[in-house]
Amino acid sequence: MKYQKPTINRIDFALASKYGSPLRSQKIKSSIDGVSVNELVKEFGSPLFVFSQKTIEEKYNEFFEAFSSRYPKVQFWWSYKTNYLDAICKLFHKLGSKAEVVSEFEYQKARHLGVEGKDIIFNGPYKPKKALLQAVKEGAKIHIDHLYEINDLEEIASELNIEIPVAIRCNMDTGIYPQWSRFGFNIDNNEAYNAIKRIYEGKKLILTGLHAHIGTFMLTANAYAKETQKLIKLKNKVEQDFGFEIEYIDIGGGFASKNRLKGVYQAPEVVVPSANEYAEAIVNAIYENNKGALPELYLETGRALIDEAGYLLSSVFASKRMPDGKKNYIIDAGVNLLYTNFWYNFEIFLDKRYDGLSEPSQINGPLCMNIDIIAPNIMLPALERGSVLTIWPVGAYNITQSMQFIRYRPNIVLIDKEKNVHLMKKSENLDTIIENELIPQFLQ
Amino acid sequence: MLLNEMIIDENNIAFIPSLGSSFELNESAKRVIELLKEGQSKEEIVQTLSKEYHKRWEDIYIDVEDFLQKLKIYGLIQ
Ligand SMILES: Cc1ncc(COP(=O)(O)O)c(C=O)c1O
Repeated sequence: MKYQKPTINRIDFALASKYGSPLRSQKIKSSIDGVSVNELVKEFGSPLFVFSQKTIEEKYNEFFEAFSSRYPKVQFWWSYKTNYLDAICKLFHKLGSKAEVVSEFEYQKARHLGVEGKDIIFNGPYKPKKALLQAVKEGAKIHIDHLYEINDLEEIASELNIEIPVAIRCNMDTGIYPQWSRFGFNIDNNEAYNAIKRIYEGKKLILTGLHAHIGTFMLTANAYAKETQKLIKLKNKVEQDFGFEIEYIDIGGGFASKNRLKGVYQAPEVVVPSANEYAEAIVNAIYENNKGALPELYLETGRALIDEAGYLLSSVFASKRMPDGKKNYIIDAGVNLLYTNFWYNFEIFLDKRYDGLSEPSQINGPLCMNIDIIAPNIMLPALERGSVLTIWPVGAYNITQSMQFIRYRPNIVLIDKEKNVHLMKKSENLDTIIENELIPQFLQ
Repeated sequence: MLLNEMIIDENNIAFIPSLGSSFELNESAKRVIELLKEGQSKEEIVQTLSKEYHKRWEDIYIDVEDFLQKLKIYGLIQ
């Protein structure tokens, strides 16, 4: 008879509600886009980040269609901070996205990828003068965050003896909490209007755009309707009062992905608005409020385009029984690779069907830190050493915000539409980590 | 040892009358419980299962240790 690890569960109906899924259901993913997860791990090691070209293109096309079918002048700007792997940025640029960056490093990365200055939006509260100067010279779209930046730009305009086209970042109440009021100028209390008046009076900068980014993982399309309405009303007013021609409004990013937020118990399919719902809310607000020429509509969508295209494969290394009876699996990927673990409950798939009873379990990473919990409560059948788990969706923010901590960060691969697997980033090694370290002479 | 009271039906659902609790088990769990009721020690159980299933005792040891801990947590053995 086939061996199964001996397993016993008390039949406890309270458990069923704590652990959600029915006791015997198993979520299985044996392959990604037709490539076996076991083969991937065999060839590229474990853990392993895997991205799907197919999903990236499907997502981009879904959002692009939703907007462009309703509004003629739409442009997506890939939010570098969401995932700035060279190959991922290249993919988005090939699809038609331009670049949205928030630091001099990201700006340099976009330029290194061959993106021209005019195809870069430069956002953020911290733009050192040198970076600003380069961006101005190269014709980047600069979104001003504060009054000091107006001064810096005016100085640059004088030095170069030019007028600089600029946009300002705005913030406002859109009925959502928390309100991102730290960035840019507030519309509701007239700060934004006053900043524009200041720009007008300085006579060195020309306002050509209005920008806002109201938050991330926004579960209501209505917040975007409010945002767009406020931006368009401001546009109408400053066009009339100062004679500026506002070429574009940029409504930022923030659309939710099909991830499961902690504390939200309905399925993402139920709570996450569709691309069409977001587009409908935004485009209607433009048509209903705009006076004069229709502006271009810019979007800086990050998460919603890449989260579901990213997977983390990880292998079971060991297991133990905890004093409360829960089974504890130790896997080779920790929370240092999964920044978004702090607010998501990821889906965790098994590589195949496992026989036997499922037990209340917990999945922990290898970090030797109590906080290294990938899944605190999950029903799992008896897994084997080497069983491959697929953690999903992890495509947004985890690559850019991952931390090197006690182990090397793993390989990252891309599966193309022909099922070829390409290495996009090599795992770290001792040399890459100590490369910039120096030992003072007296310690040598 | 409460485990001696355990009645296991043909669907591998077990019942402990004095606790009023039910449990679900798999085949190998049922076998370990039989061996415990016969008075076998942990080491003996490991040897028995290792022979019956043709598996390395070192691997079976981890599973038996784990299973006995869970029986303790449920209060079924000391
Ligand atoms: C200015 C700006 N644009 C775009 C984004 C991308 O947001 P998301 O990934 O939620 O779409 C961010 C993220 O914080 C941002 O700060």
